[in-house]
Amino acid sequence: MKILFANHIHIARQSIASSRMRSILTMLGVTIGVASITTILALSAGANKIVVDQINSLGGNIAVIRPGASTEGTLSGIAELPIGQQYTASTLSNVDITAIENIEHVQAVAPLMILGGSVSGDSEGSPRTPIVVTTPNLQQISNLELSDGQFLDPDLKGATAVIGPQLSIDLYGTDQSIGKTVTVKGQPFTIIGILKRTNMPINYNMVDFDNTVIVDLEDGRALIQGASQIQQINVQSESVEYLGTMITDINKTLLKNHFGQADFTILSGAEIAQPTSSMFTALAGVSVAIAAISLVVGGIGIMNIMLVSVAERTREIGIRKALGATNGDIISQFLIESLALSIGGGITGYIAGYILAFVISTFLTFDPLFNWEIAGTALVVSLVIGTLFGLYPAIRAARKDPISALRQYD
Amino acid sequence: MADTKTPPVIVLKQLKKRFGIGDAEHYALDGINLTIQKGEFIAIMGPSGCGKTTLLNVLGLLDSHIEGDYELDGKSIAYLSAKRQARIRSQQIGFVFQSFNLVSRLNVIDNVALPLIYKGMAQLARQKKASAMLKSFHLGEREFYMPNQLSGGQTQRVAIARALVNDPAIILADEPTGNLDSRASHIIMEELSDLHKHGNTIIMVTHNPDLTTYASRVITMLDGQIDTDTFRLPTQQKTDSKKPLNIESKPKIDVKAAIKKKLKQ
Repeated sequence: MKILFANHIHIARQSIASSRMRSILTMLGVTIGVASITTILALSAGANKIVVDQINSLGGNIAVIRPGASTEGTLSGIAELPIGQQYTASTLSNVDITAIENIEHVQAVAPLMILGGSVSGDSEGSPRTPIVVTTPNLQQISNLELSDGQFLDPDLKGATAVIGPQLSIDLYGTDQSIGKTVTVKGQPFTIIGILKRTNMPINYNMVDFDNTVIVDLEDGRALIQGASQIQQINVQSESVEYLGTMITDINKTLLKNHFGQADFTILSGAEIAQPTSSMFTALAGVSVAIAAISLVVGGIGIMNIMLVSVAERTREIGIRKALGATNGDIISQFLIESLALSIGGGITGYIAGYILAFVISTFLTFDPLFNWEIAGTALVVSLVIGTLFGLYPAIRAARKDPISALRQYD
Repeated sequence: MADTKTPPVIVLKQLKKRFGIGDAEHYALDGINLTIQKGEFIAIMGPSGCGKTTLLNVLGLLDSHIEGDYELDGKSIAYLSAKRQARIRSQQIGFVFQSFNLVSRLNVIDNVALPLIYKGMAQLARQKKASAMLKSFHLGEREFYMPNQLSGGQTQRVAIARALVNDPAIILADEPTGNLDSRASHIIMEELSDLHKHGNTIIMVTHNPDLTTYASRVITMLDGQIDTDTFRLPTQQKTDSKKPLNIESKPKIDVKAAIKKKLKQ
């Protein structure tokens, strides 16, 4: 049996080698499909990993409160246009912040207001630069590290700001911009600190800290005429075991403040990452579905070429049967040939997919992830394609009547 | 040779093979009774369409949709699965075809080694055996030629080497010299009669009456039935005439035996 199997592989190699161009083109169909699936999976796994790593590094005692009721299911949340929510007033207010600060076991609270507006220094910044309005506690809760200077301090007089390293370079051409004046929404702020580069544009604060300017809550409120537009409140509990009770207490307090309306969402642990990661998962899902179509097309290519090959080799099938090949032998011969095509395509596709993923990742801020699940997926997918689309031609080959097969001239 | 003690290799009883249905129904083989002993060299003759090739296909287990009984080595093939039949083809039967039927994209040695694959022999052993077989047919230097680089006679010798590589007891040859000139034909016939001397059973279909001189038994067929069945004396003259025979020479038919046979019927 083992010898027979080795022979089938030998036969498949011979016949693939004898029509090399055709085989390569057929493999290419599978290669493209597997490559796109590999690329998508590697990149989305890489993106997911960033968020998950951040949550893990936070130590597990963080809860995040966001305005708006939690949306059911992932896909409906994606389908909703985010613009609508942007223009509604946030349901979270300063009253809530004060209330949360007074709850037991709460160690630190940091509200997060993200504003849009012009930012300029020596040169004009991008109009899409996020302006983060928060309290000094954010540094502690979100583990923000500084490369120079200090973080926001309520004791300091005057309007102060901390800026991200990339923004500093964009505005001043250097990341040594302490003491300079940055104009945010027309108001001057003195830079007192530069953040350390994180290279993490995807995080649970939904802000790229490398490219942002952070101002204090009091100053920030003045920028929008004293209104509050709180996108998120980060709450840190005293320790992990108090997180649960703290969340329950916050929930109670906020419900009371909001007249019983659950128009806010409290997230903790992996849930925090979910809006970001679920978006990636859904995006990856859609792309994988599209890639799967190309795989099916590749599979049809295999089937097509195998049918041609069976027709071409009708006489050979007749000879082999006359010389003692069983139907099983003929099926194995053609099935292994189609599997060789699909697995060959799968392996090159896997390699090409990672090359593509690395090329794409040079434009992105995260690296593709290597894991055995992706390699396994690529292998299983190509095995399934090879079997699925190779079986029918193989059975057709085995069913040929040896006498009429021998009579056919090639 | 007909009255040896060993059981017959092939016994056919009222063998019928039907093609078509309804109006187009037609029996290619119409009640054949035939007993073939081990070591016979049978030449089957007859006009086109008399069922010679069909008979050979049935004997070679390529066609098992038959009526009547076919016993091979004392066992009826009606009860053999397709897989068992394939194994018998692989181990007991060697085919030689008129159109040679080498696999055109395999070289000579791979073609000869082909039946050994289905015997489950390892690559190296196959090559060794095929190589030895080719040497005995004086084709040792042609091992790595492609089939289209050989002459017709050489191709047929490769095909015979392939038929023999499994040491089959029965060799079925369907007009093995049909595509060859007379010189090449006689070389092929010498090879076959050599095999016969080594104890193989050979059943050959031919159109050429000259070639029946090599056979120990000549069967002529007509309309799906056996017309004449002539035993010849054990081949005595062939040892001294290994060269191609004179085309003019008449086939030496054992008249006495033929008459005896006729009377019996």
